[in-house]
Amino acid sequence: MAQTLYDKYGGFGAISRVVMAFYDELLDSDVVGPFFDDVDMKRLMDHQTKFVASLLGGPADISDIRLEQAHRNLGIDGTHFEEMKRILDQTLADHGFEPDDRAAVMAEIESRRGQIVTGP
Amino acid sequence: MNIEAINEQLLRAIGAGVAILDPDALTFRFLNEVLAEWFEAAGVGAPLAAALPDLDLEAVRAGLEAEGRYTAEASFRRKRRTLVVALTITRTDAGVVLLECQNITRMRELETMIESYSAMVERNTRDLQREKERVEKLLLSIMPRSVYEEYKTFGTVTPQSYEPVSVLTLDFIDFDEMTLKVGPSVMVSEMNDIYSAFDRIGEQFACERIKTVGDSYVAIAGLPEPDAAHASAVANAALRFVRYLARRNESHPHSWRCRIGLASGSVIGSVVGTQKYVYDVFGPAVNLATRLRDHAGPMEIVAADATRTLLGDDLMFTEIGEATVEGFGLQTLHRLGETLGAA
Repeated sequence: MAQTLYDKYGGFGAISRVVMAFYDELLDSDVVGPFFDDVDMKRLMDHQTKFVASLLGGPADISDIRLEQAHRNLGIDGTHFEEMKRILDQTLADHGFEPDDRAAVMAEIESRRGQIVTGP
Repeated sequence: MNIEAINEQLLRAIGAGVAILDPDALTFRFLNEVLAEWFEAAGVGAPLAAALPDLDLEAVRAGLEAEGRYTAEASFRRKRRTLVVALTITRTDAGVVLLECQNITRMRELETMIESYSAMVERNTRDLQREKERVEKLLLSIMPRSVYEEYKTFGTVTPQSYEPVSVLTLDFIDFDEMTLKVGPSVMVSEMNDIYSAFDRIGEQFACERIKTVGDSYVAIAGLPEPDAAHASAVANAALRFVRYLARRNESHPHSWRCRIGLASGSVIGSVVGTQKYVYDVFGPAVNLATRLRDHAGPMEIVAADATRTLLGDDLMFTEIGEATVEGFGLQTLHRLGETLGAA
């Protein structure tokens, strides 16, 4: 089996730092942060852990249906989506991810755009 | 700079959150920089409850009354973040109440992340376990348990010679014509039905099916565990196979006629192949049983001389006579049991 990015960058020990940094950056962003104003920390952390793990080929698999259900009523538009991508890309760069690997992750996210973006 | 000013500077500079409270009203008299930043809405003069709304003030007062000290964990929202602090409230000799707060938000966030991760891993482990059981069941359906255990432990199976064993081979007359006539799905369901019945009968007599190749069904007794009654096992299974088919033919739209060969001797059992491996049994007893099957008429069982000798007078045999069997020379053949329609 091909090595996943999850394994390549050190498994949960290393990825947990990416999750934490991504979580911090999202909350600090004025573009996407407001979506999390009333979200419980536990729920958000659980979501981010699974989301990052599934993007990198870790032990999580978020189905498209669940992703769609979770984002359906949030009114997320293209700007929000781009901001989230930008933050994750920057976070990965900060944690030593190579450009090719970051591009692969961005492609993964892009393939889920339809499930996340509901606005213009 | 006097000593009080130095004390205040120290309190301000400390990394933990420190505040001085009025002992009766529990309002803020002083907050250091850390706390001032955390409790944006609650400055000097504000009540403690304004900063920490979920703190149980009654419990704080009771704790201070009884032990002069109260410790707890409290959380509050700051912008869109939930901050969690471990706090200690202490009554001091100076007649004020001291509040110390350690920020343990990150710790709680990490705990939550680990919980979430463990749940994922546990779920994966359960899935893997289920998958493992499925694979085990599949492998057990193609090889005996003792062989499977050896395969699991060593990753390989040593070919083993088994002797004495008895072999039963069976095929159907006009199988190819039937395949063309009834079509693939009927054919498969017919074979499933008949082979499943054979398997159940075989199980009763400790005669295990080793393989089927199209209409050829091979079962063996005396393997992998030795069985003194191996010849009797295949003979009894063979008689029931024929009886089962005869009865089935009476009530089914499709009629099946079989031929069975029985032989005793030695076989070799092994897992064959590395990518597509199967447990296979081969050797002289298998070959002889297959050749003898070709000497059987419809619904007949033909047994080798050695098998017949092992069975003594327990079952009814009719000697067919001598015949040349390919690869085995001149052999004395015996017909087992009553032949349906011919008797």
